[in-house]
Amino acid sequence: MSRHHRIANAIVAIALVLGFSWLCTMVFALLGNQTDWSKAWNYRETLFRGWWMTLRISLMALVGSTFFGLLFMFGQRSPLVVVRWTCRAFLEFVRDTPLLVHLLFGYFVIFAPLFSRTLGDQGLDDKLIIGVLLLSVFEGAYLGEILRGGVESIPMTQWESARAVGFSPIQVYRYVIFPQALRRVLPAMAGLFVSLIKDSSLLNVIGVAEYFYNTKNFISRSYAGLEGYVPLALGYLILTLPVAWLSHWLEKRFRHET
Amino acid sequence: MKLEVTELTKCYGKTRALDALSLAVESSRVLVLIGPSGGGKSTLLRVLGGLDVGDSGQVIINRQPILTDPNALQAYRRKNGFLFQQFNLFPHHTARRNIALPLEKVHGFSPAEAAAMTEQALARFSLLEHADKLPSQLSGGQQQRVGIARAVARPPEILFLDEPTSALDPEMTAEVLELIQELSEAGQDIILSTHEMGFARAVANQVAFVAAGKIEELSPPDELFGSPKSPLCQRFLSRVMRY
Repeated sequence: MSRHHRIANAIVAIALVLGFSWLCTMVFALLGNQTDWSKAWNYRETLFRGWWMTLRISLMALVGSTFFGLLFMFGQRSPLVVVRWTCRAFLEFVRDTPLLVHLLFGYFVIFAPLFSRTLGDQGLDDKLIIGVLLLSVFEGAYLGEILRGGVESIPMTQWESARAVGFSPIQVYRYVIFPQALRRVLPAMAGLFVSLIKDSSLLNVIGVAEYFYNTKNFISRSYAGLEGYVPLALGYLILTLPVAWLSHWLEKRFRHET
Repeated sequence: MKLEVTELTKCYGKTRALDALSLAVESSRVLVLIGPSGGGKSTLLRVLGGLDVGDSGQVIINRQPILTDPNALQAYRRKNGFLFQQFNLFPHHTARRNIALPLEKVHGFSPAEAAAMTEQALARFSLLEHADKLPSQLSGGQQQRVGIARAVARPPEILFLDEPTSALDPEMTAEVLELIQELSEAGQDIILSTHEMGFARAVANQVAFVAAGKIEELSPPDELFGSPKSPLCQRFLSRVMRY
């Protein structure tokens, strides 16, 4: 770094710190003494239950979206044109419409009338199951494209060599293509899983008692402001930061390997 | 090996890579395909090796016709070996694992048996010091030698080599060619395509000149290089031998 750069860097850093502090001071001055952290403390159990639910939804949707992602990837690589086109059309539809619409339409119009009674009779949480399913399909559509990109980025010679040593089609994927493709797409997948965790907050519209839903209720009942939103942001950060770090770490590691 | 190809045709789009090609070799250990690029050498080799299927025509090797059904083709590939110009190895595995993996997963050897066979193959081609390197850490010549070691770790009925030295510099070319010669002297049946005329002459029992999707000439090397009969072959040889 040259001397000029260092000086410019220092000046910009000071300006940013001053600007941010000024903004915070203004906000807190406006709020005055209304911030009362004990409100959040009183609701801690509800909030934690919500956070725990978000974690569960995320884990379940992670498995679900991996399943759908693989399904969509293989669908698009099918030797049958009809399967490829159907898959393509479905993916395009899912990716180009809002998740909010999928959840509202999918739950209230399609799945709830069909399955809610059955699931409820078996003592299952129908909202949770249908919500996770819809979230899995949505994120799976993106994952399918990521996986397809990874698989198609493997050079033709690798497919040929794998066939030449006598691997069956399944073995070609299992031992040659997937290990190489996954290395290439892991950072993108980690990024997608961060989105998945954040998108799980949308399940509140069908009444799943996850972190955002419970926080929203807490805020409207206790007229809280910052006391509600700060823990909300932190709660999501606890879930997403490790995944984001993992993604950066993987990116660095595999960059050097190839 | 005994080889009988009748009226083999293969098109890629509108290009006729093989044009009703016929070829009969009674008994030959090493068959070398030479000819201009784009003349059909690679395509012929790919069909013979079971990687591609002809549009029409028939191939009979050692009295067994090559079938077009995917499972039969896979079984056929399993008993033979095939090596491309380059990038044969799986880049995410070491040289050792590259050889052991097919032995375990394709041929059903136990990990211990596969490890012993791998060790033996590595030792045979003086590759032991490179055993635990990834392909990216090996030179092109070493990569090809590992590729050959993988193809012959379990002795194949026929070893197919598609221009195995085309991507290598002269020194590495020599080390790979020596290895191929060694294999042929050990009795391995080989069908290979090459642009190395000197090597073709030295190692072949029969040389086939392939051009425009047909066999223009088939004879023992001394005859084909000494007094080629087909005008196409004469022109090709005089051009490549000039420098």
